[in-house]
Amino acid sequence: MTAQDQIKETVTSNDVVLFMKGTKAMPQCGFSSRVAGVLNFMGVDYSDVNVLENEDIRQGIKEYSDWPTIPQLYVKGEFVGGCDIITEMTLSGELDQMFEQNGVSFDKDAAEKIRAANA
Amino acid sequence: MGRVEKIRENLLRALKPGHLEVIDESEKHRGHAGYQEGGQSHFHVVIQADSLMGLSRIARHRAVHEAIGKDLMTEIHALSVEFRG
Repeated sequence: MTAQDQIKETVTSNDVVLFMKGTKAMPQCGFSSRVAGVLNFMGVDYSDVNVLENEDIRQGIKEYSDWPTIPQLYVKGEFVGGCDIITEMTLSGELDQMFEQNGVSFDKDAAEKIRAANA
Repeated sequence: MGRVEKIRENLLRALKPGHLEVIDESEKHRGHAGYQEGGQSHFHVVIQADSLMGLSRIARHRAVHEAIGKDLMTEIHALSVEFRG
């Protein structure tokens, strides 16, 4: 299976996927850490893919989404954004809406706490 | 020419921003992954441009990536962009 096929399979068979440097338990980059931290804190059930373990995936994911950086968040097969976008969407409440529309469960109180802390 | 100037020049030319700041934040990432001696690895851009108005979040980030150019985007380690309305 090519890297593109493998990525497609991963993002379509898991509701929420984060391609990141390191793992959700041990991120190895500040930007990956920020996005994983938000998802962890909001109690989102997601799959993490450590691109540092696979050079083909690391390069392939950039082609897949035509997006030059990692982390990359996918929900129901759709690319949502990288660190800047997820941060903005968390603070504006758009991330909550997007999860709600896609039937992804999360802790609303935790999301509110993030917004209160960054208000 | 340093990367800050190159990024600045490319953005000015392509997007004609009303406001633009390009900041080398590499020193904040000293010792982290992707840090290069001498900096010029991590950048922060603050931009306001009429040409970016009305675009989705992903589309306006893509427009900035494209304006900076593929070569330069590949050379740098990280870019964060803040859009002003």
